[in-house]
Amino acid sequence: MSHLSQIAPKQPLTGLCCVLALATVMAPAAARAEYPMLMSLKPVAAQVGQTSEHTVSSRYNLYGAYRVHVSGQGVTAEVVPVAKPKDGKTPNLTSLKLKFTVAADALPGVRDFRLATPRGASTVGQIVIATDKVVSESGNNDTRDKAQMVTLPATICGAIDKAEDVDVFKFSATKGQPLSFHVRSQRLQDRIHDLQRHVDPILTLRSTAGTTIASSDNYFFADPFLATVAPADGEYTLEIRDVRFQGNGYWQYSIESHSRPVVETVHPLAVAIGQDVSLNPVGHHLGDNKKLSVRLAPGTLEGRAWRRLQLGPATSNPVHVIASRLTTLVENGAANNDAASAQSVTVPSTISGRIESAADIDCFVFDARKGQKLTFEVVARRAGSALDPHLRILDAKGKQLSLNDDFRRFKRLTQDSQVENFTAPSDGKYVIEVRDVHLRGGERFVYAIRTIPAHPFFELTLDSDKTQLTPGTSGVIFVRIERHNGFSADVELDIKNLPTGVTASCGRILANGTDGCIILTAASDARLDMQDIRVSGTEVQTADSKSGAPLTSVARPMQETYMPGGGRNHWPVDMHAVNVGSPAEIRSIKLSTQSVTLKPGGAATIDVEFERAPGFTKNVTLDVLFRHLGSVYGNSLPKGVTMDAGASKTLITGKANKGRIVLKAAKDAPPVSGQQVSVMANISINFVMKATYSSSPLMVHVAKP
Amino acid sequence: MRSLFHHTRQRLAPILVTIATLLSVSQTIAADAERSFVVAPTSATLNGHFARLQLVVSVSSDGKTTTDRSSDLTRVVSYTSFNTDVVEVSATGRLLARGNGNTQVEVEWPATKDRGTEVRLVDVTVAGITPQAAIGFRQHVNPILSKHGCNMGACHAAQYGKGGFKLSVFGYDPGLDRKSIIRDRHQRRVNLVDPAESLFLRKPTMQVPHGGGLRLARESVDHDILVAWLLGGAPDSNGKAYEVTRLEVFPRRRVGHVGTTQQLRVIAHYNDKSTRDVTAWAKYDSMDESILDVAESGLVTASGQGQAPVMIRFGSQAEISMFVTPFAETARLEGWKNNNFVDELAAAKFRELGIEPSELCDDATFLRRISLDLIGTLPSPEVARAFIDSKRPDKRQRLIDELLGLTGDPDRDRFNDLYAAFWTLKWSDLIRNSSNKLGEQGMWALHNWIRESFRTNKPFDRFVSELVTAKGSIYSSGPANYFRINGNANDLTESTAQLFLGIRLECAKCHHHPFEKYSQGDYQGFAAFFKGVGTKNSEEFGLFGRESVVVVKAGTTGKATPLGGEAVEHPLDLRIPLATWLTGKNNSFFAQNVVNRYVSYLLGRGLVEPVDDLRSTNPPTNVALMNALSKHFVDSNYNLKSLLQAIVSSRLYQLSSQPTPKNVSDSRFYSYYRVKRLAAEPLLDAVDEATGVRTKFKSLPLGTRAIELPDAGDFYSNYFLKTFAKPKRASVCECERSSDENLAQALHTLNGDTIVGKVANKNGRVGKLLAAKSEHANIVEELYLATLARRPSAEEVAACQEFLATSPSPKECYEDILWALLNSKQFLFIH
Repeated sequence: MSHLSQIAPKQPLTGLCCVLALATVMAPAAARAEYPMLMSLKPVAAQVGQTSEHTVSSRYNLYGAYRVHVSGQGVTAEVVPVAKPKDGKTPNLTSLKLKFTVAADALPGVRDFRLATPRGASTVGQIVIATDKVVSESGNNDTRDKAQMVTLPATICGAIDKAEDVDVFKFSATKGQPLSFHVRSQRLQDRIHDLQRHVDPILTLRSTAGTTIASSDNYFFADPFLATVAPADGEYTLEIRDVRFQGNGYWQYSIESHSRPVVETVHPLAVAIGQDVSLNPVGHHLGDNKKLSVRLAPGTLEGRAWRRLQLGPATSNPVHVIASRLTTLVENGAANNDAASAQSVTVPSTISGRIESAADIDCFVFDARKGQKLTFEVVARRAGSALDPHLRILDAKGKQLSLNDDFRRFKRLTQDSQVENFTAPSDGKYVIEVRDVHLRGGERFVYAIRTIPAHPFFELTLDSDKTQLTPGTSGVIFVRIERHNGFSADVELDIKNLPTGVTASCGRILANGTDGCIILTAASDARLDMQDIRVSGTEVQTADSKSGAPLTSVARPMQETYMPGGGRNHWPVDMHAVNVGSPAEIRSIKLSTQSVTLKPGGAATIDVEFERAPGFTKNVTLDVLFRHLGSVYGNSLPKGVTMDAGASKTLITGKANKGRIVLKAAKDAPPVSGQQVSVMANISINFVMKATYSSSPLMVHVAKP
Repeated sequence: MRSLFHHTRQRLAPILVTIATLLSVSQTIAADAERSFVVAPTSATLNGHFARLQLVVSVSSDGKTTTDRSSDLTRVVSYTSFNTDVVEVSATGRLLARGNGNTQVEVEWPATKDRGTEVRLVDVTVAGITPQAAIGFRQHVNPILSKHGCNMGACHAAQYGKGGFKLSVFGYDPGLDRKSIIRDRHQRRVNLVDPAESLFLRKPTMQVPHGGGLRLARESVDHDILVAWLLGGAPDSNGKAYEVTRLEVFPRRRVGHVGTTQQLRVIAHYNDKSTRDVTAWAKYDSMDESILDVAESGLVTASGQGQAPVMIRFGSQAEISMFVTPFAETARLEGWKNNNFVDELAAAKFRELGIEPSELCDDATFLRRISLDLIGTLPSPEVARAFIDSKRPDKRQRLIDELLGLTGDPDRDRFNDLYAAFWTLKWSDLIRNSSNKLGEQGMWALHNWIRESFRTNKPFDRFVSELVTAKGSIYSSGPANYFRINGNANDLTESTAQLFLGIRLECAKCHHHPFEKYSQGDYQGFAAFFKGVGTKNSEEFGLFGRESVVVVKAGTTGKATPLGGEAVEHPLDLRIPLATWLTGKNNSFFAQNVVNRYVSYLLGRGLVEPVDDLRSTNPPTNVALMNALSKHFVDSNYNLKSLLQAIVSSRLYQLSSQPTPKNVSDSRFYSYYRVKRLAAEPLLDAVDEATGVRTKFKSLPLGTRAIELPDAGDFYSNYFLKTFAKPKRASVCECERSSDENLAQALHTLNGDTIVGKVANKNGRVGKLLAAKSEHANIVEELYLATLARRPSAEEVAACQEFLATSPSPKECYEDILWALLNSKQFLFIH
């Protein structure tokens, strides 16, 4: 127990809104555990400096939603109150009006938002923050002769809402007028929980006579972007449709349509913090803006950062730069296509470069000492570059020592590359070689290579992005660790910013394990509330640890998604919400013991009894692992300890409310003192998603043989 | 009434050119020639046992030189060897080495009433005759097996051989073949003590029953060679060169008349620079048996008018000799004016062959023809009326530019999207874009890329380069799907060669190409370009793509060899040098392949047929025109619209489809426009346009045209299109889209729901014309313009007037007229 800590609730994060009028709404006693899954927002964009009303649609009931959380700064939202039904019954509300207020200086781009409801925290929805006024699709605009007139600049919003839908908009332009159209649609569907088919938009610009002037299919992933110049004075039509002529009411889009410059990326990509740095913008309709200066404030955090560049009197759209406190170096333009002609660099540093043309290869040579450990990380696609980098470390003669194409971060495979923990085999020169994996090139193919010493560290992810609690019950957050460069210690977990009335029992991740858990408990009198929590982990130092402060890491929440076909996927998000809702199907879970000690080769039985809500007779599945189909997403059991499925009784049907978990320890299970485990009671919502209740902490010990 | 529209403008049945014309041609040729003669070669050296050499004797006006019109006297003259111990000579002028030494052969041309006997002496040297004949399997036996058909696919080169005796196809694996003969079945096929008693010889000579019949005479030289080979221990090689690097054929070209004969002479050049007369062992094939007959001896007889080659094969090489038998002595080409270089070269061919081309077609015919040929779409009545009534002398050229979207004015270039759709359909067929193979998402990605390429008139070399070097997500990068359609290096090799070079390489996968120089080594060298191309999983398209990404896997590249070229290498992706070579200006196949296809699309027949079978043994009907169009295409930086413009701007393209008595026998030289049946998709669109009722395709918005359909899989299947032979895109061969008519098609246009329903649709063209209370004459004109892009003739107006009077109602009258027009050949064909 010594490593457990009770965490006191904290104040809500700034930037949250609440609708107090509905804060006390409590759902009926037998409320379902089906939390709302946000499907779409209409219109999907809001303009900076404006307050606008939008309709959010969901699967499962939104009634009683009382608060909206929005990520980032400068955007707030509230729920437009819904009249109470006169019959006193709870309506099944799958759409709701929200009012978003966007500050004038809010950064344009995409924000996440989430609703707090009595049935739990919703999944994450997305809203586009746009510069220009929002024009929503209205009426039948399915053909050119019924095109909807719009005036540019505008953020055109609509939905490809039915099969064979084609949305046509009409606007006037003068000869030579720059035009750009940026579609966001499929990218807005990454976070939708359960959308089995996804949009693939295509954009076509036509002349008055109907002749295609330009078209775009896939530019930013599956979303189109089109930049052109009006060839003559006149009216033009802009068509958007799904490539396959499919449709779905949830397939919302925004088209940022204007004549301003569009910056896609910059070269060099890395910017030294606190210094004036000259950049070449890369994009469309840039005019004379060939070279710009940027300065990142001294307090800027390292890594990717959105910045708006000064383009003459105007500011650009936000663009990624890589903020660096390391020495920043830039490819010097001389031929550096192979090891022999590699450009000399020093390490550690951040090297910016560009794959200038097809089949171009960039090589950089550096000195290293025997045994020196280095990590090389190419940042490109994650920062908006077109490059899909292919990274190799070579010796001075060009012999390959290490290679990486795509590397995984936060459970997701990136298109970027990383060679981690490279150890120089001898004193000498080594070469970093970068190219596009498909041998493409051009001005959009910029990159930054971070070369840093390979110190041990760890990263944490949360499964998933929300924890649903009801008064008097517990929930569980699983935390998974990725260890790097030889990090091998236990990690103590911590949680901050809990809702009022919620306490936490923080477990730890054992050195020989990958998961730990935090069990949250809502007091029986806890009121409706939702807070974005922050989970971190701290290295548990031992006598063998290196001196200095223990390593820490903040966990990244991963939203679960229901993939087409039934798989469970994850998407990194910024917010993890802990929500206290109304009492629901399960009112309590009791274990026969809160602590078991297993001998190697031995077993222990934990009887489980839970209280069903009146009238709740659906199946409940008990488990100590968080899993779907054959994959395990959370397992805080000590190494060598497993659940004996045959001896356990986990499927509890009808009105039954008792089961048992039998844990067994392998003969070689190492000794452990007090590992926190959750006994979960799961209720299926759909094929992938489930409502999960937790027992109070079960401490599992493994005795010495 | 309905039959009225069924019989118009049918092509005349072919008729023969008159005997009188033929006679005048032959008289002219003979009168010019019968003065003297020459013998080729003038002296001969025969090396080794059984060496043979063919003398070819030709009429010569000066006794020294010959032309392609010189008559062949090889079988007219008589031959005498002065020493038959050194050399024997046959009555057909074929020498056979008998012993070392020097001698002469006398060639005598008997006297006629106009001149005396003429004699030529040919010096002959024989060397290399030794007590033991040095006969090698590769040098001597293999050619004999080929000559006598033993190693044909239908005989012992069948999959399991014949009678337990298996040879490789065309002898591509001589080592294996030799083993089959002398080792298999416990050596039962050979008797090395008494070779003539070998089963291997007794079978083809029918001394014992042989399923293949008599293939070899017992008293023949070839029999003697085989016996000598066995006597010598049946060696694999006699130590001399056996790799043939090229064939030399005499004459390469011959102009004659029906009945002309010509003995061919074939010399093989070996990789050690040596040569050998192989006339006796070469294989001869007429490439058009209606024009040429060719005997096993290499004697060619012209049996019909026109132009055709003889294909000669020996070793691993093939060559041709071209024969021309003009239709008439001269062609006057009255009224012919060259619009461009296409016409200059077409006219030259007309003159060479004595063909008189037809007249120019009228404006209405031109409008309909070019609209269907360039954009696969009927002109609207408004467009037809305006074009026909226009007095502008340059209206045809303006129309061409508008249809091709070359005016630079977006309003006038309004057909550009239809152009893109139509040519996307063509190339999607060939590239085989289908959801059955690619799934819906990949199919659309490829479709959109092809369509955008044609909309922007992407240079064709870039189009092909992007395709063959494609990489990335199969959802984001359309051309990457090429590597899913062709899932392995063999498929990629064969598809790429056939699509973009017009070379059918699949034969060479298993054996040496029978009609080409390509070996298995060439095939594998080419296939190596695609080595290392694979896929990995990615999310370039997005989270839910989970698609394959085409990549070249590092470390799997090496060397590859272009067809007929030198090996190349690339450290990262061999497809890069492949694309460079493939689309290079020095690669004549690349441009010729496109030119040939486009000529066939527009003129109804390729300069080479089949259109995707370019090879030295299948030459263009008009070599100069092929070369000029190819040069134009290359010089325009592979601009497809420029190529189309050059062809359709020519007078040749604009000729009437009505043949004349003077050109009706021509089926290859474009002396009249070859009518073509509308393909399935343009036909359905034409029916829709004419009736004013659009076909609704499943899952596509109303208004989508059949030529815009992206898929040939089951997703957008349509009964009409299926009936009219829309291909399933299973093959890269142009032949997959059949142009043959069938009963189902006839029944469907006559009685099928598609046309009947559209004609009677109250919102259709007839319904709207009646609702607008249009006058009879206007309605009839509108129906003719909407279907045939022309106004009705006076006779047709009168017939329609009469039909109206006898019809139960105007509605039925006009529906019947429209139905009849839709069923007319003028509607169903491009003419």
